[in-house]
Parts: sequence; C-alpha cells; structure tokens
Amino acid sequence: MWLRPFETILPLLFIVILVFTTHGIAQASTVRFVDGESKTLTDVEFTLHQGIIYFPVETLKIVFDPEMTHPYHHPKKQLTLKTKGKELRLQMGETAVNIDSGKEPLILNSPPRVIQGQPMLPIEFFQKVLPRLDDVEVLYNRTLQRVRIIPKTVWAPETTDDTHEWVIIIDPGHGGEDDFGCKSQNGVTEKDVVLAVGKEIQRLGNQQGLSIRLTRDQDVKKSRIQRVQTTNRNQGQLFLSLHCNASFSPNHKGMRLYINNPNGQLRVKATPIPVFGKKRLNILTQANFLKQSQNFASVLQKELNFLAEDPIVISEFPIITLADVYMPAILLELGYLSNVDDATRLSNPDHIVQVAETIVRAIQIYSVSVNQSANPNGL
Amino acid sequence: MQYFRKIVHSRLFVIWGITLVALIICLAVTLVLISHSKRIRIVDAPPKLPDAPNPTDVLPAPEQINIFLLNPTSLEITPVKTELRLYPEPTERLRQIVSVLVQETPPDYRNPIPRGTLLNEVYIDSQKTAYLDFSHHLADGHIGGTTAELLTVTAILKTVFDAFPNDIKHVQILIDGRERETLAGHLNLSQPLRF
Repeated sequence: MWLRPFETILPLLFIVILVFTTHGIAQASTVRFVDGESKTLTDVEFTLHQGIIYFPVETLKIVFDPEMTHPYHHPKKQLTLKTKGKELRLQMGETAVNIDSGKEPLILNSPPRVIQGQPMLPIEFFQKVLPRLDDVEVLYNRTLQRVRIIPKTVWAPETTDDTHEWVIIIDPGHGGEDDFGCKSQNGVTEKDVVLAVGKEIQRLGNQQGLSIRLTRDQDVKKSRIQRVQTTNRNQGQLFLSLHCNASFSPNHKGMRLYINNPNGQLRVKATPIPVFGKKRLNILTQANFLKQSQNFASVLQKELNFLAEDPIVISEFPIITLADVYMPAILLELGYLSNVDDATRLSNPDHIVQVAETIVRAIQIYSVSVNQSANPNGL
Repeated sequence: MQYFRKIVHSRLFVIWGITLVALIICLAVTLVLISHSKRIRIVDAPPKLPDAPNPTDVLPAPEQINIFLLNPTSLEITPVKTELRLYPEPTERLRQIVSVLVQETPPDYRNPIPRGTLLNEVYIDSQKTAYLDFSHHLADGHIGGTTAELLTVTAILKTVFDAFPNDIKHVQILIDGRERETLAGHLNLSQPLRF
C-alpha cells in the first residue's frame, strides 16, 4: 500500500535518468564542423572504430561540397566521389585513394570502411584529401571534438616574400629563480609554460618564413625595461606577450586577450601634454598603435576560439607590459593555472604545439591582411 | 654592685639602648601617620560629570556601506553590505572603509586582497585623488595573473568610489609609501586610476 506513490514516480525517474544518460552519450559522439570564421556548419555523429573516428559520406556534402555525388557499388564495396571537378575512387578496407585515375594514389593510414552497412570515411580523409581537392586546410581539435575547414588563401599568401620582412617579437613573461609568475596546485609554473609556447612559436614561425625573436629564450629574469629595449631595437611589426592567468576563484578558466588602452575599462588620470610655444609635443606612445592592436587581437581571437571551450574575450586596460612597446601589441593569457582543467591542458605538450600553431597561423593571416591593405593591387 | 655599674657603662649596653629608643620612635611615628590617614574623608562616588558631553567623545551612529568582494559563483566583484560607525571626516572615513575591505571576508565570498595586507595611510588631495598606501603584502603576496590583479584593483576602486561618489575621482595605489608600476606584472598602476 505504502509503495503506491512510488509506482508512478519510479517510472518517471527512470525516464529522466535515461534521457539524461542518452543525451550525454549523444553529445559525446558528435564532432562539430566549423568554417574559417569559427561558425558552426554542422554537428555530425561519428562512429568510433578501433579508436579511429569515422563519418558518414554525406558529411562531405554538408561541410565541403553540396553538389558532390557519391554513388556506392555495394557488391564491389567501391565508392566514387565526384566533387570540385575531380573523381575519387575508394575501395572499402583499402588505404589508397585514387584522385583522377592515372595519377599517383594518396595513401591513408586508416582505410574507409563499411560500418553498419554504410560506407564511412575516417577523419584522416578530411585532413589529407580535402586540401588536395580545394584550397582549404582542415584542422582537428581532439580535445573539443571540432573540425575546422579554413580557406588556405586567407593565411597562405601566393608570394611569401612580403612576410619574410616581418619581425615578430614574442615575449614569454616572468622568468628567473624568484619570478615564476603564477603556479598551479600540481606545480606547473607560468614562466615554464610561456617559454615552451614561445620557443614553439619561434620554431614553427621560422619554418613558415617569419622572423620570430624572443625577449628571453631561457629561464632568466628580464626586467620590463630590458624587454622593451629588445623589442624596440628589433623594430618588430608585432609584439605578443605570453602569460598564464590566475584567479581567486578556481572556476575562472579559458584564454584571455588584453590590449593596452589607458582609456579602456580602467582609465588612467590624464597627464598634460608638454607644449612648446603654440605646438603640442607629439610623443610616440603605444596608444598610436591601438587600432592595429585591435585588428591583430580580433584575428588571434578568431583563430584561438577553435581551441577554446568558450569564446575568448578581448579586454582593454592600461597594461604595463605593453605600455612602452612602439608597435601593435597584445598580451595573451593562455589559461588559468588556478583552474585544474586549464593547468592540465597547459602541461600537455600536444596542447602547447596546437596553441603555437594557431598563433603562427594568426600572425600569418594578420600579416597577409596588412600587406594586402598596404598593397591592394598586389604590386 | 660594681659589676652592675660595669655593665651599665659598657659600650654594648649603650648601643642596645639607642637601638631600642630608635625603634620606639619609629613605631610612634608610624602609629601617628596611620591615625592621621584615617582622618582623611573618602569620597563615596566620583565627581558628577557635566550635563553636556564632549562632542569628540560621541560614537558615530552606525551606517551601512558596501565593500566589494569576489562572488565565486558569478565570478564578479559584487557589493557586500556591512555596518560601520563612520567618522564624518573624509580621510578618517576612507581609512575606516578600506581597512574593513582589507580585513574582512564574509562567508561565501573571496577577498581579492592578499592576506596580511595592511592599510598604512590614506590621503585625499585637492584634485579629489585618493592615495591609498598599502603594506608590501598587497604586491608580494599576490597570486599573479592579469585577472587576479584586475580583481584586486577593481575591489579597491569600487569600494572607494561607492563610498565617495562625489569626493573622490581617482585612486592611486601606493606600496609602502611609494608608487609602483604594477602589483603582479600586468596592470599599470603607476598613475591614479578610475573607471
């Protein structure tokens, strides 16, 4: 008798638990495809086979070419893709991809497979084959399960001569025995993380033809003035200061971008400008580069959003680190060492490489856009 | 008899005699003093105070003010009401309010002022700029990071501007009496600030 109320509640409770559990499973088994602007194209359910992610062939129609045709010959297990004026032949279970018969086939590590009666393509197909078919780059963020298809023309210029002239100053913050910056609970220090990212940016940037200079390339203490002197002496086109964040709450997380603006969200009391006769002295300040800094910050924000769970915020404050640097300058906080998830991510070498790659790409996109606006006819 | 005379005239007898007389005199003087002290009239109650109290001795009435602390749920600097007996003089008032911010952390809030920080001195100049001089703990005990630095500065500025909306326009943070470029290497604190 006393069980009667539970007879109605228990099935309801069971349904609620079932809905929540299945919802969780569905969320975990989808990959988000985003475009170059980081806008969502679609969320695709994938199948995991021997640790490899497989997508239905129809995914290509949604994210790459809506006009693609993909006849599949069941008895022969042969898939033919006609897209972007090219014909691809794939044999299920085989790693060779024949693009326009007669040419050398492209070899994948994981073959396309028939899973649950449907031909499926491995994620590697998207990463390796799509750049061969069109002018795109396909990036995969394993942590956040995101695939980004970005037009290559945006960041890879036809002539790279202009970008050779670019000097980019990377400033890994803090350093030395007594200035480790902030520290995570498991002992990860800011000075080490930012130096690792800085060195990786230098390595990748130099490979791409950019001239990357570091304000410190080892664990040494450098004063703000020393960093400023190194920066201004090198006459760079861009300055990027790398830091790790901390908060009094462990819930703060994610990357942040800061621009130096004495009249930003915090305002510095105005000091009178010296006047000689009737002329005001025109003093060069960081504020002269505010617009360029904002442009670079928005490019960096767009690129880094691909690695971030939540959209990255750009804030403008009087930032002392950037105050006397006479070029477009940004301070990037790579994550919160006071947050367990961020600290774990920042101690992962793969994440460090991914962040460095993204920053280098952002520098390239920015440099291309500046060169194009300076020389719109490409002369 | 001769033996008795010998004793009386002996030196020892004379010394003992003098000592005895001295003791008797001391005892007599002590007794006189005691009896004299008993004659002093003891007042039963303190003298009556004047009816009008001294204005400087009056405790101010309690007032409600806001101190700004970090709410760990919203992750924002939010006002927390507290009651204080504030003096009317602005500098003293400012000292009282900022001292509360430095010292108090109600449950469910995080104080973005590092532990051990003391408020050394406060001053308001004619241009309505408040100078707050903190002990070195504010910088040396800071956890670092741009966000943490911003939270610290925001908590101080919001507390001051909320209590003095008209009397204070800028706040300059000093450390042990000196201007300092920054607390933790990011925000520029070398000049007075406002929102």
